[in-house]
Amino acid sequence: MKYMVKRWRKRLRALVHTDAVDRELDEELAFHIDMETDKYIRDGFHPDEARRKARVAFGAIRKHKAETRDARRMSWLPGVSLDLRLGARMLRKYPGLTLVGGLAMAFGIWIGAVTFELVGLVVHPTLPLPGGDRIVQIRLWDAESNDTEPRALHDYVIWQEALRSVTDLGAFQNVSRNVVADDGEARPASAAEITASAFRIATTAPLMGRTLVESDEQPGAAPVAVLGYDLWHRRFDARPDIIGRSIRIGDGYATVVGVMPKGFAFPVAHELWMPFRTAMANQSPREGPAITVFGRLAPGVSIDAAQTEVASLGKREANELPATHAHLLPQVKPYAKLFMEPRPQDMWLMLSIPLFAAMLLGLVCSNVALLLFARAATRETEIIVRSALGASRGRIIAQLFAEALVLGGVAAVVGLVAAGVTLDRWGHQYLAINYAMLPYWYDPHLSVATVLYAVALTAFGAAIAGVLPGLKVTNGLGSRLRNGTAGAGLRFGGVWTAVIIAQVAVTAAFPAVAFIEQRELWRAEAYDVGFRAEQYLGVLVEMDAVSGSDVSGQKDTAAHGARYAATLEEMRRRLEAEPGVSGVTFVDRLPRMPHHYRSVEVEDASGIAQSSGVAASSRLGDSLTEVSAAMIDPNYFDVLERPLLAGRAFNNADATSDAHVVIVDEVFVMQVLHGRSAIGQRIRFVAPTGPKADAPVAPGPWYQVVGVAKDLGITSLTHRNRDRGIYLPADLASTGPMYMTVHVKGDPMALVPRVRAVASTVDSSLRLSEFQRVNEVQSEVLWFLSLWIRITLLLTAIALLLSLAGIYAVMSFTVARRTREIGIRVALGASARRMVASIFRRPLTQVSIGVVIGSALAALLLVVTTGGGVSVSGALMMLGYAAVILGVCLLACVVPTWRALRVEPMEALRAE
Amino acid sequence: MPPRATQPDVLRGTLDLFILKALSLQPMHGWGIAQRLEQLSRDALRVGQGSLYPALQRLEEKGWIDSEWSATEQGRRAKYYDLTPAGRRALVVETAVWHGYVEIAELILRST
Repeated sequence: MKYMVKRWRKRLRALVHTDAVDRELDEELAFHIDMETDKYIRDGFHPDEARRKARVAFGAIRKHKAETRDARRMSWLPGVSLDLRLGARMLRKYPGLTLVGGLAMAFGIWIGAVTFELVGLVVHPTLPLPGGDRIVQIRLWDAESNDTEPRALHDYVIWQEALRSVTDLGAFQNVSRNVVADDGEARPASAAEITASAFRIATTAPLMGRTLVESDEQPGAAPVAVLGYDLWHRRFDARPDIIGRSIRIGDGYATVVGVMPKGFAFPVAHELWMPFRTAMANQSPREGPAITVFGRLAPGVSIDAAQTEVASLGKREANELPATHAHLLPQVKPYAKLFMEPRPQDMWLMLSIPLFAAMLLGLVCSNVALLLFARAATRETEIIVRSALGASRGRIIAQLFAEALVLGGVAAVVGLVAAGVTLDRWGHQYLAINYAMLPYWYDPHLSVATVLYAVALTAFGAAIAGVLPGLKVTNGLGSRLRNGTAGAGLRFGGVWTAVIIAQVAVTAAFPAVAFIEQRELWRAEAYDVGFRAEQYLGVLVEMDAVSGSDVSGQKDTAAHGARYAATLEEMRRRLEAEPGVSGVTFVDRLPRMPHHYRSVEVEDASGIAQSSGVAASSRLGDSLTEVSAAMIDPNYFDVLERPLLAGRAFNNADATSDAHVVIVDEVFVMQVLHGRSAIGQRIRFVAPTGPKADAPVAPGPWYQVVGVAKDLGITSLTHRNRDRGIYLPADLASTGPMYMTVHVKGDPMALVPRVRAVASTVDSSLRLSEFQRVNEVQSEVLWFLSLWIRITLLLTAIALLLSLAGIYAVMSFTVARRTREIGIRVALGASARRMVASIFRRPLTQVSIGVVIGSALAALLLVVTTGGGVSVSGALMMLGYAAVILGVCLLACVVPTWRALRVEPMEALRAE
Repeated sequence: MPPRATQPDVLRGTLDLFILKALSLQPMHGWGIAQRLEQLSRDALRVGQGSLYPALQRLEEKGWIDSEWSATEQGRRAKYYDLTPAGRRALVVETAVWHGYVEIAELILRST
C-alpha cells in the first residue's frame, strides 16, 4: 500500500513536473559517467582519457535518456491515453450512440448535480464569513408548543452576563422600514436592529465609513444607520458622499455612518442596519419583541460544551421562574442552519434525493451499458484477436471502461454546464418561492463539491456502462476462442430484458405525470376570479410601528391603528382623484391567495329545515363547516363591479364589533345551505376541534347573513375545489395590514409610480410592497408547475429515446447474430412473413409487457390523483398513447428486420 | 502472483531478473548494479547502460523496485534502488519461471 501510494505520487510528479524529473535523470546518468571515469582513473588512465572512455562506454547519452524516459511513461500512460483516444474515436465512429448515450448520461449528471447542490445547501449550509462554522444561535425552545419562543430579551440579558462558552453575544430584530431616497420616494428596505457585536462576529470591514458601535445603542445617542451595498446603489446612486448624510428612515431620520461591501447581508438577508436600542433592563420573561440571539463559540469550546452551559443556565431559570420557563429549553445551534433547518424526520428524505439521483443515473447508465454491449458484441472479433495477442481480460474491460469514461466525460461537461445554468437562472428563484426570507448564504451555484460529486457520478456511470458489458463480453472468451464459435456465447439475457421492459413502462407512465401537472396548470390558468382582475392593481400597504425605544403597549397599538386607518382613507381619497382610477378598496387577502380558514356552524333555521342533514348535524356540532374568510372594506363589491346577488353590502357601521353581520358567497349557499335562501340565516364561528377538544368550546356570537356575493376568487390558486367563502367587514384600524385594490383604466402597473408618489406625500412611513395585477396574484405557482412539466417532459423524452435506442441495439444485434440461421431458413424456403414474425416476436413481447405495466401505472396515478374514475376521453388518450409507444418502439425494429430479410442465403452460408 | 508467460524478448526479461537478484542483497545505485552484475558474472556480462536505466524505470513502474536519492560513501548524491515486497515475490516467481524455461530448452536442445 505504501509503495503503491508512492508510485502514484511519482507518476503524478512525472506528469506535472516533467522538467524536474528530467533533471534528476540527467543527474543520475552524470553520476554513472563520473563513477565510470573514477574507475578508469583507478585503473591508471589519465583523467581526460578516463572520461573519454567512460563516455564511449556509456554510448549515446541522448538516446539512453530518450529510452529511459520512454520506459518511464510507456508502461501506463500511453496505455491509458491509447484507451482514451480509442474511446474518443469510438465517439466519432458511432455518432448515434454518442448522441443518445451522451445525452442520457448528461441528463443524469445534470439532475444529480442540481439536486446535490440544493440538498447540500439545505443540509449543510455554510456561512460565508471567516470562521462562520463557529457562529451559533441561542434560542429558547418551548417543549410544550414544540416551537421556538422568540421573546427572549429577558434570557438574552442573563446569557450576556453569565455565558462563558459563547462570546460576542448579540441580538437582532427584523424590522421593515421605508427608506426615502433623494427623489423623495419611499420604498421598504429589509432592516435589522442589531447589536454592534454582530459586526465583530461577521468580521467584515465596511466599504466606507464605519460599522455600528456600542455607543450607538445608548439611549441618548444620535440615530445612525449602515447601508447595504445594493441599497446604496439602488436608492442613492452609489453616491460617494453618502457618509454623514441624514436620510429619512420610516418616520424618523438617521445619519448614514457606513456602507457595507457587496454580498454582505448578515444576519439573514438584510440591507439596512440600525442600532439595537430596545430597553433591556428589567425585561419581563417571555415579553418584548421577537429577537434572535447569536454569538461566537469561545476559542476551543465545542458546540456541545456551549450547549451544556446554556442548558444549566436554563435549568436555573426554570427553577426560578416556573410560570414562564418550566418548558423552555435554551439551545445552541449552528447559525447557518438556523433558518432552514430540516426536521429530523425530513432528513432521510433530503438525503434520499441524491441517492435517487444516483439511482436514476444508474438506470440511465445500465441502458447505455446495453448499447455499449451491443456495440462490443459487434466488435467481438476484434476483442478475440486482442485476447489472442495477449491482452488480459482486465485489459479489455479497462478499454471498454475507458470508452465509457470518455463518453461520460463529454456527458459530464454538458451536464455540469447545464446544471450551472440551471442553478444560476432558477436556483435562487426556486428557493425563494419556498422560503419567505431567503438567507443570503443560500446562494445556489456550481460549487467545487458539486463538481467533485459529478465526477464521482461520472465514474460510477462509466463503471456501469463500461464494466458490465466488458464483463459480459469477455466472459468465457477463452472457450469461445478454442471452439471458434464467435458470437454463440453472447446473448441478451434476463437482465437486459428487464431493463427494456422497465424502460418502456416508465416511458408509458411518465406522460400521466406530465398530464396531471398540466391539468393542474390548466386549472390554475383557467381560474376564474369572477371579476375583471386584469384591470386591478393590488398592493400591500404597511406602516411602521411608532418608533421609539418603548415596547409598544395597548395604547400605542390603538393609536397606530387609528393613524393607519386615517392614512388609508387619505390614500384612497387622493388616488380616486387620479385620472384613470375608478375605485379604491381594501381587503386583507387578494383573490387567488390562500385566505384565513375558519370553522363555522349554521343555526338550525326555525325548525323548518330539520330534514336538512347539514342543519341537523350542525346542531350536534360534530360537522363543522370550513370556510375561507376575507375581511373587506364596505365598497369592496362596488369597486369590483360585482353587485351582490341578494341582500345588502356592508356599511361603515357594520365594522364596529357589535354589528355581527356577514356576507356569504354563492359556493357557501350551494354547499352549506343547499341552495336555501341565505339572507337572515345565522352562523357563528367555532374554534376548530383539536386533539384536546373534549371540553365544550364556547362558541362566539351569532352573525347574521345580510348578503350573498358571487364567487370572487376567495379560493387559493392551489386548491382544486372551490372554497366556501364568507366576507366580514374590516375595521381598517384593527384588522392589520391591508391590500389596497385599485381599479384602473388601462395597464394597472402603469399606475405604480403614481401610487408610490402619493404614498410618499401622504406618509413616508407607509411601506408599499407586492405590487401586482390582481389576475397575476400567486403566478409563481404557475411558474413552479410549468417548471415541473418541463422536467417531466424532458424525462419522458429521454426515457423514450433510450428505449428506442435500446430496442434498436438489441434488434440489430439479434439479427446480426442470426444472419446464418436466417440465410439457411430463407434458402430452405421460409416465407418472409414467417421470418418477420420470428424476428419480431421477442421485441414485440417485451414492448407489450412494458406498455401494459406502464399504462396500468399511469391509470393508477390518474385514479389516485383525481380520486375517482378516469373519463372516457382520458382512457382513450391513454390507449392512444400506448399504441403510439408500441408503434414507435416497433419502428426501431424495422431497419434491422429489413436488413435481415435482405440476407442472401449464399452469403449467409459463406459467412462462417 | 501466477507465473507469467515468458516474454518474447528473453534478454530483456533476464536483465530484469538479474537486476532484481542484484538488488536482493542491498540497495544500490545504477552504476553499482552494473558493477555487481559484472562481478557476479565474473566479467562475462557487461550491462549496457542503454538497457540498464530503461530497465530500472520499467521495474519501478511495475512496483517491483523503489528509488530514493541519498548520499554515497564519498558523499555524492546518487539515486539508490531497493526491492519492494512485490519485487521480492516477483524475484522468487521469475526465478522459478526461468528455471522452468531452462529445463524446457534443455529438453528440446538435447532431444536432437
